[in-house]
Amino acid sequence: MWIREILLAIAGLSAGVAVAGGLFSFIVELGVIADFADRTHTGDKVCFYEDCAALGGILGNLVTVFHTGIPAGLPGLAVFGIFTGIFVGCWAMALAEILNVFPVFMRRARITRYLSLFIVCLAAGKGLGACLFFFRGW
Amino acid sequence: MKSEKNTLYIKGGRNTEVTAPDVTLGDILSMECTDKLMLAKLRTRRILRFPKKKKGRRVLSVLEIISCIHEEFPDLDVRNLGETDMLITYEEQKTPPRIWHLIKTAFAAAAVFFGAAFSIMAFNNDVDVTKLFGQIYELATGYESGGFTVLEVSYSVGVAAGILIFFNHFGKKRFTVDPTPMEVQMRLYENDIQTTLVENADRKGEEIDVDP
Repeated sequence: MWIREILLAIAGLSAGVAVAGGLFSFIVELGVIADFADRTHTGDKVCFYEDCAALGGILGNLVTVFHTGIPAGLPGLAVFGIFTGIFVGCWAMALAEILNVFPVFMRRARITRYLSLFIVCLAAGKGLGACLFFFRGW
Repeated sequence: MKSEKNTLYIKGGRNTEVTAPDVTLGDILSMECTDKLMLAKLRTRRILRFPKKKKGRRVLSVLEIISCIHEEFPDLDVRNLGETDMLITYEEQKTPPRIWHLIKTAFAAAAVFFGAAFSIMAFNNDVDVTKLFGQIYELATGYESGGFTVLEVSYSVGVAAGILIFFNHFGKKRFTVDPTPMEVQMRLYENDIQTTLVENADRKGEEIDVDP
């Protein structure tokens, strides 16, 4: 019996390490955190941001795997919502950036001016999409 | 006649920040020459001037620097050992209040913390870890999983270990002497920005060069 438990433990441990490595190298290589540090001119604090990412990953995992409740109430939920929204927004754009979506389209369509307008439209479109998704309950 | 001609070696960084609007050669270059007197004179020679009370950024070609040195000492042999295009950024050193820095850091930290938590939760939800663990548990032991088994515990330990190994440190404690992935990423990002600025200036013809 205990041999099975040990095997399970080994399987779980390796699964955890692999998932953590994959997910976090994805986040880091996309440069989301580097973007935050750069925009806020706090590049000297990257180590602290890494700690925050590590802590967030560990706690978030515990919450989903063990279904623990967090008694934070509505304000806590609002804080969680706004910051995850910012993070996911940056993530989506970083993904598009790393895949060179914009340079390709700009070049094909020969767009050289009003770049900022396109960025604003992009953000508005994303926001509208998110609103539709939630309000219509898709 | 043999070694009458002096050689001046100059080395400039890619990105220099200055705090005074008058930029001298000594601000942006490290120089070496056998003639110390000449060195001292060159160090204080002005190369460019920013409009006052305005942030500015210029791209400077090393040719402009050499021509500036030649104006002073026409016979000097100048050898560049550093960058060929340099970014000079002028920013008045008004250190913003510490509290503002703290607020920004707290903001970014919150986004990173909740974002990381959300990512792993979204991942676990997406692949339905709970169900998968139940299936694996049943496969291995033959019993139905109660949702709190050795698998869940070891997975959580594994995630924590994986994250810490990946980031290579926790708090001040480093596991190896390598820079952390974030530090590498930060430098790459800065490099990209500097390359973009230099090439932008080059395309627009805004670089300060000898023959525009």
